[in-house]
Amino acid sequence: MLELARYDGRRRFKGSVYLSIGIALLAALVVWIFPSFRDAMDMDELLAAYPEPVLQVMGIRTMATLEGFLAVELYVFGWIILLGLYLAYSTAGVIADDVDRGRMDVLLSLPISRARVVGEKFAAMAVPIILVNVLTPIVVYVGAPLIDESISGADLLAVHLFSIPYLFACAAIGLLASVVFDRASIAQRVALGVTFALFLVESLLEGTDYEALGAIAPMRYFDPNEILIESTYDIGDAAVLVGMVLVLLLASQFWFRRRDIS
Amino acid sequence: MLTVSVSTTCQAGRVIRTYICSLCELFTMAAIELAGLTKDYGEVLANDDVTFSVERGEIFGYLGPNGAGKTTTIRALLGLISPTDGTARVLGHDITDESDLLEGKRDIGYLPDAPSFDEAATGRDVLELHARIKGDERSEELLELFDPPLDREVREYSHGNVRKLGLVLTFMHDPELVILDEPTSGLDPLIQQRFAEFLRAESKRGVTVFFSSHVLGEVRRLCDRVGIIREGQLVTVEPVESLLDRSGKVVRLRTAEPVPFERFDPSSLAGVHDLETSLDREDGAADDSKAAFTECTFTFTGDVNALVERLDGIGLLDLSVEEAPLEDIFMRFYGTEDETGAERPADSVGRDEVGDEQAHGTARSSGGGDDA
Repeated sequence: MLELARYDGRRRFKGSVYLSIGIALLAALVVWIFPSFRDAMDMDELLAAYPEPVLQVMGIRTMATLEGFLAVELYVFGWIILLGLYLAYSTAGVIADDVDRGRMDVLLSLPISRARVVGEKFAAMAVPIILVNVLTPIVVYVGAPLIDESISGADLLAVHLFSIPYLFACAAIGLLASVVFDRASIAQRVALGVTFALFLVESLLEGTDYEALGAIAPMRYFDPNEILIESTYDIGDAAVLVGMVLVLLLASQFWFRRRDIS
Repeated sequence: MLTVSVSTTCQAGRVIRTYICSLCELFTMAAIELAGLTKDYGEVLANDDVTFSVERGEIFGYLGPNGAGKTTTIRALLGLISPTDGTARVLGHDITDESDLLEGKRDIGYLPDAPSFDEAATGRDVLELHARIKGDERSEELLELFDPPLDREVREYSHGNVRKLGLVLTFMHDPELVILDEPTSGLDPLIQQRFAEFLRAESKRGVTVFFSSHVLGEVRRLCDRVGIIREGQLVTVEPVESLLDRSGKVVRLRTAEPVPFERFDPSSLAGVHDLETSLDREDGAADDSKAAFTECTFTFTGDVNALVERLDGIGLLDLSVEEAPLEDIFMRFYGTEDETGAERPADSVGRDEVGDEQAHGTARSSGGGDDA
């Protein structure tokens, strides 16, 4: 069991370490620039100058505290948007690219079911998802005292833990695209488009009559502001994300079992 | 006590009987059985009601021009595509039932027509992954025979090396049945030779080989029986000898002095087809190449000794005897003129013969190990 997941996971390890380092550098940059923002201007005044939709899209509550600043600049921008899109894009290649390049023929000639191929390849995405959450909290936690700020270790840990089901949900969107489309480039474009559209639907429709539409977006169930500023952790939201992952995974397996590999 | 022991003995006897019966079934069952396999892509009928079977231990060549539907059949046999109608069994497992087919895949080796592996992985990485999933009985021995550069990344492999790695992976778990899609394309002649010897040895060990090809020469070197497919339809299944008898050679010759036309006229030498001649003479203004020639080309399906006799005494400048191209054979025996519906009946006759030919081929293949 899990031979394929281990193999794929190992193949993803190096790239994931680089990704983790890159994101940690972004975190260090955000922590480092916070004092100059804090001292140079009244952040709340600055926020008041932004049009409302921008605040809404970025989910900005306050930028006057390190927690608020990190929530927007690092977690909404870095995790929800950047990593969410990256994982959807990257996972969209896992099946489609093998089919596209003819590698799936060899793989499926092995005594391994199609559902297992999909499941194990998806499981291997745990490598980037977890690695990217290892270095950054350390950088932030160590960096805060260096700029004479402090941050709750528990909140920091929570924001990273709760981001894991969110990132898996984005990856699962990519997975579904990956089994539906034969060509990796199309699957990846669709996954990017759908994930970004869901982000916009969730953030732009908030407070309108169509707010309910945002319920299908994983972004609704992961709110770094809530965790970092209010220290509220919503287990229910995480459970919804896990449910989404399972539904998308099962749908992908179902689809992949029924289709022709051509 | 006595009753108990008698009933136990009876029960044991029944169990043993059932076991023996299922063993018998296992050995008599064909390695591959296709029953009306059809794959309709809408615009193309890639496989049209294909029915034949491959017996255990035989080398079966699946022959047809490019685009005839060979790969479609193979992909259906491996469960990569599902038939729109009909079904097939490999090693007794239903190809339309994924979990049943998975059982079979432990004993099947498959080499696709264009094998492809993870570019960033080394050959060894790929080999180890396969070993973990399906087991490794004999990769060392295979690596001595086909030596792909295992420690290099696959992206640096030549086509030949990718294929060599594919061959090792196909046979490493010691499968009962191997399905090879155009296995020798891209291999250099030396490795092709080695591969042919290897395949014959495998067949002697009882391995069933099913391979597709569009090269007649390859098929004639290796196969016990041949199935021919064209435009998705199975044209015939026959022992390779009967195909060879009918396939013929292309003979080209050039002479110093004009040769009388009668020498190779079909009416005087049996087995000459498509005779084309030309006369090259300096004073040839009034010449007729129907009377004599200095150059000629024909397809010969007769006795080679008779041909050699006719050649005796001719001052030859050049002579070549080659395998007839597959396309010509199709043209001659099965008709390839699509637009003429009149050519079609030949197909149906061919297909009606399949049953008899199979029976014949089966009988042959049971004792056919020696001539392999």
